[in-house]
Amino acid sequence: MTSARRHKAVAYAVTIPFVIVLAFPFFWMAVTSFKPEAQVYDPTKVWSFHPTLANYGFLFHHTDYVRWLRNSSFVGLMVVLITLAVALPAGYALARLSGRVGRSMGVGIFLTYLVPPTLLFLPLSRVISQYFHLSDRLWSLIVVYPSFTIPFAIWLLMGFFKTIPQELEDAALIDGCSRLGALVRVVFPISIPGILTVVIFTFSLVVNEFVYAITFISSAENRTLTVGVPTDLIRGDLFNWPGIMAAILIPSIPLALVYNAFLNRFIAGFTGGAFR
Amino acid sequence: MSDSKLTRRELLKKAGIGAAAVGVSGAAAPFSFAGPMKFKNRHLKGDLSIIQWVHFVPAYDDWFDNTWVKQWGEKNDVQVKVEHINNTLLDTRAAAEVAAQSGHDLFFNLHPMASYEDQVINHAPIIQEIQRKVGPYGDLGKKSTYNPKTKKYFAVSDNYVPDPVVWRRDLWNGIGEAPYTWDHVRKAAPKLKAIGHPIGIGQSQELDSNMALLAFMMCFGSFVQNAANRPTLNTKATIDAVKFMSEIYKSEDAAIFGWNPASNNNYLYAGTASMILNAISATRTPEDQHLPFADDLAIWPIPIGPHGRLGLEHVMGCYSIWKFAQNKENAQQFLVDLCVNYKQATDASKLYNFPSFPGAYPFKQIRKTAAADTHKPRGKYTILTTIAEKYTHNIGYPGTTNAAMDEVFSKYLIPQMFAQVSQGKMSAADSVKSINAQVKDIYAKWKARGKI
Repeated sequence: MTSARRHKAVAYAVTIPFVIVLAFPFFWMAVTSFKPEAQVYDPTKVWSFHPTLANYGFLFHHTDYVRWLRNSSFVGLMVVLITLAVALPAGYALARLSGRVGRSMGVGIFLTYLVPPTLLFLPLSRVISQYFHLSDRLWSLIVVYPSFTIPFAIWLLMGFFKTIPQELEDAALIDGCSRLGALVRVVFPISIPGILTVVIFTFSLVVNEFVYAITFISSAENRTLTVGVPTDLIRGDLFNWPGIMAAILIPSIPLALVYNAFLNRFIAGFTGGAFR
Repeated sequence: MSDSKLTRRELLKKAGIGAAAVGVSGAAAPFSFAGPMKFKNRHLKGDLSIIQWVHFVPAYDDWFDNTWVKQWGEKNDVQVKVEHINNTLLDTRAAAEVAAQSGHDLFFNLHPMASYEDQVINHAPIIQEIQRKVGPYGDLGKKSTYNPKTKKYFAVSDNYVPDPVVWRRDLWNGIGEAPYTWDHVRKAAPKLKAIGHPIGIGQSQELDSNMALLAFMMCFGSFVQNAANRPTLNTKATIDAVKFMSEIYKSEDAAIFGWNPASNNNYLYAGTASMILNAISATRTPEDQHLPFADDLAIWPIPIGPHGRLGLEHVMGCYSIWKFAQNKENAQQFLVDLCVNYKQATDASKLYNFPSFPGAYPFKQIRKTAAADTHKPRGKYTILTTIAEKYTHNIGYPGTTNAAMDEVFSKYLIPQMFAQVSQGKMSAADSVKSINAQVKDIYAKWKARGKI
């Protein structure tokens, strides 16, 4: 066996088990979503069953699935916009303007990200209800979610901005740009990987969030995907497994495609601040 | 060929357009979601908001939302809004509503929320009104929702759900056994495991394990508290019960330590379990889905232990009205009317819900309805009435369900006590002793607060 082949064989030997382990849940999800509900519990029908689209039909015709998707998307996009609006200037300022203080503040901001929602949802319930009067409205989530997306985004962008040479900005300033102009014309365009990482990561965090969504939203018309699925597809101790799998598979596909499309930039965004 | 390929740039462009389309449609979402008023052009007396679980029997929600609520709302000129959430999320939701001092007018939970006594109105006038119409509150309901110390009803129970043993006749007959006593269960367990069908009693931090193990303890004469609501866990009977269950566990699957409320059902539906403790949703689902062993599922009261046959309700449906509720009068009237007309509810739930005010649907009538059920073995649901009438007790029996008991229940101390012995982490005596210390602390706390 040549060295190149041996190298390839080792690479496959290492990669394939990971691929199987990571891809199997998606494969199982897809298989189950096409099973008739009665056959899910039948051990003789694990692989041999009559595929059906009935579970997808149930989702679209007997639940508010489209509305859940729309609500999640709306909240996700709004939170992404707010997060970028705050984190971009904050990340830049902490990276460039504050020196040691900036680093300490950066760490401090990141630490707030580590406070779990299970501790915060009770005090925030009062804030949302009594001060903002946003109970049972999607805007309650749009207001609260940035509390955990912004710290992470600032921390990530701060690391990324640090990798951009100061000389580039200096050159722009010498050429007549204002600091804001240098930021918009020079820094942001070459920070696209970091910004995309924030967009994707923020959107994923929001779409997956559960505790705030179940706490602040109670009406059926305002439910997001993470609340709608367990509410309408789990009846106490009776799980509609094919329906649940179909409900999760549908949003997984575009998210997986987006991740794949931006994979290189995503990795660059995450590792941007790691090496200098 | 390469020309027809979608380049990454094109893909991103298309994805961007798609995302923008979703965003634009979503941006209009909050304004377009509100539906039309229920009673257009009518002046309403008020509103009523209700939050409750997604019922295990879908037909019940269908009846409740589309028949009962609709008719009640029209009759009383009230706009009623019902929200359903998963049963495991009710406690989280209650905590959030209390923290916000804002929420639904009627809050339904599957266990009496004794620890929120100060947050709710005294429900005594509602109970008196119901009693005036259909007769006395059942003992189970009263002991679950009344605090004898403060003389306050902190909830109204509309229903309770009996908790039978569900077992596979074909499998048990095959080994020449039946779960008549806990001794029979212990002897049968290894044989059932040997044929690939273990019994499935959970020892996890979840509702079904809690109920099964508390009831099991009672059959051994072990009680968390006495009739005067004083802690009595640390007894020989408790140690014996814990040891006995650890013996049974040797023939169970280790997965029982990580179970959730659906696990025992799924274990049964997969054709694996030979016996579980669960409400009749465990038999209704196999019937509805025509699972091959549906006709072999039998229902019995909890097996007899050294202290007798003492069971618990599986869930206790309780409505509470917060002090901060906006429409208390409508909520009270709704509760009265629901409890008085509970025959409809019991029938809609396919005998899952039993009325907490027995006069609303006397046992004799329920027995007749149960006997008419055509599922095989025919008449199997008749025993449910006996279980409901004779072997169903409240959480905290022989005392009342109180804030301390509620906390012991909500912290899953009892499953923990059993699990650490079955897993070999502690001896039965040590486990009981350590949990007893926590129980005593909890009782001391609530005593200091004047609730027990």
